[in-house]
Amino acid sequence: MAIEARHVSKSFANYVALRDVGLEVNDGELMALLGPSGSGKTTLLRIIAGLDTPDPNSETVVTVDGQDILDRSASERRVGFVFQHYALFRHMTVFENIAFGLRVRPRKLRPREPELRRRVNELLDLIQLGRWAHHYPSQLSGGQRQRVALARALAIEPSVLLLDEPFGALDAKVRQELRRWLRALHAKIPVTSVLVTHDQEEALEVADRIVIMNQGRIEQTGTPDEVFHHPASEFVVTFLGNVNLFHGRSEANGQAARMFVRPYELEIERNPSNVSSVAARIQRIQSAGPMVRVELTSDQYEAITAELTHDRFRDLSIKTGETVFVKVRDARVFQAANI
Amino acid sequence: MSFHPHTEPKWMRTAFIGASIVFVGVLILLPVISVFTEAFRKGVSFYLASISDPLAMSALRLTLITAGVTLAANLVFGLAASWVIAKFSFPGRNVLLSLIDLPFAVSPVISGLVFVLLFGAQGWFGDSLSRHGLQIIFATPGVILATIFVTFPFIARELIPLMQEQGAEEEEAAVLLGASGWQIFRRVTLPNIRWALVYGVVLANARAMGEFGAVSVVSGHIRGRTNTLPLHVEILYNEYNFSAAFAVASLLALLALVTLLAKAALEWRIRAEERPAVMEE
Repeated sequence: MAIEARHVSKSFANYVALRDVGLEVNDGELMALLGPSGSGKTTLLRIIAGLDTPDPNSETVVTVDGQDILDRSASERRVGFVFQHYALFRHMTVFENIAFGLRVRPRKLRPREPELRRRVNELLDLIQLGRWAHHYPSQLSGGQRQRVALARALAIEPSVLLLDEPFGALDAKVRQELRRWLRALHAKIPVTSVLVTHDQEEALEVADRIVIMNQGRIEQTGTPDEVFHHPASEFVVTFLGNVNLFHGRSEANGQAARMFVRPYELEIERNPSNVSSVAARIQRIQSAGPMVRVELTSDQYEAITAELTHDRFRDLSIKTGETVFVKVRDARVFQAANI
Repeated sequence: MSFHPHTEPKWMRTAFIGASIVFVGVLILLPVISVFTEAFRKGVSFYLASISDPLAMSALRLTLITAGVTLAANLVFGLAASWVIAKFSFPGRNVLLSLIDLPFAVSPVISGLVFVLLFGAQGWFGDSLSRHGLQIIFATPGVILATIFVTFPFIARELIPLMQEQGAEEEEAAVLLGASGWQIFRRVTLPNIRWALVYGVVLANARAMGEFGAVSVVSGHIRGRTNTLPLHVEILYNEYNFSAAFAVASLLALLALVTLLAKAALEWRIRAEERPAVMEE
């Protein structure tokens, strides 16, 4: 079900978490809220869930499936929520954790025991933890715990699924696996989902669309392709990955401009091929990885990072300490006015 | 620099263990043994007569009533105070936290005097109480109030650190799954704190039954009416009735022993319930 939020602000005792933010998530979409810590993304998620209340304002609206939910309590909203640190009930088995949302229903709406068992077992199969049904959370690994948390959230057949840094506490390899698993799960059960993360790679890989937040405001909303290739602000460029910054002047109007170039958009040459090539000295070469990373310094721009393919690196046969020429292949330019 | 237990000289270990045994023996075991030997000095029948004396029985009754009411009250207040302090942040939170510790910081005699100043005949509320025919000081309510005051920190102090460590996330998860306030307390919060709660109750109980100073000030020492076991022991002792004093004291010692056994049984249960070590992928 679609989620819509308009004019949401939230201030705490000593800082402002959200400044008049709006958000639209389409039905069945997996939306990522991406931003550094303190950007307000978790606060926005908690407001949708009902764990926090927005600052009072008559224009503030939060709807799910077209219905205003702000005056409903968190227990009435029927949202599935997954916490960064799992928040599993430590004294209950995996089975009972998943069954909790069904057991606390009012008597009339509570499924009978055989029906409840069937549904919990279905979810256990879905997360491939059937064998662990009667274990306690402390006996599971982090990745397994987070899968249980997800099954527990899905058990109440939520209208929307909210995930707060769900992979944040896991190590890199498990995070990768779980990310892919979540994407596959979403294809199977397309419940409208909002995922909060500070990891740009995760957002780009998992989400249908991304909302990039900074200091309580939304910087840009778009598909991973849009935000990556057409960033709306300097913040978006720098946040979405490593980038070189060059100061200069616009050719069109002579105003001060800043040029952002990703490492793989730089070309390294033995001889300058045009006037904009810059001489630079190689400080360090790191070739363990899919790309070869070259760190250089130039008189004009100090540190520059370039990435080339292993083929190109072999052809050039460059070494640390040599002076080469760096050429910009592609770049994004922001003029002083919109800095 | 680090110390390795196996590299300590043997004589040193022996000396430390020996010192500990002597210390515990002289200061703790010996007094307990002497209570029971003194209690039986004049024979079993004198002992039985002493503890079945109507005044002793009424002191025992008052002690048990006081301990019961105190525990019930502190269970409710302790839970409520720990809950708000651990799970919410609000102005005055630190003040409340310090106030909970207050009974530990002041002398029990002062605690008793405070209640005399408040509810005694010359106290702040003395007039209005006597106009309504209510008596608190030199009566059972005063004894109970003083005991509640003195034992208040035990349960709250057990629960607060545990609840703070556990945080509010499980409760948040429960509310989002549709649980009501009572369901959350009953199914999530209470099971997570049950052992700490029982442990706090055991400690509070031991103190409630043994409290002397605060109760002594508010009770008025009316035999058969406002004397608790510790006060009754004191009276007998002051009357040079040593064997009877020790006989009644042995009752208190037995109550303490029961409490300690309950605590030991509890610790054994907890250890049995501890699950295999955490496994990481």
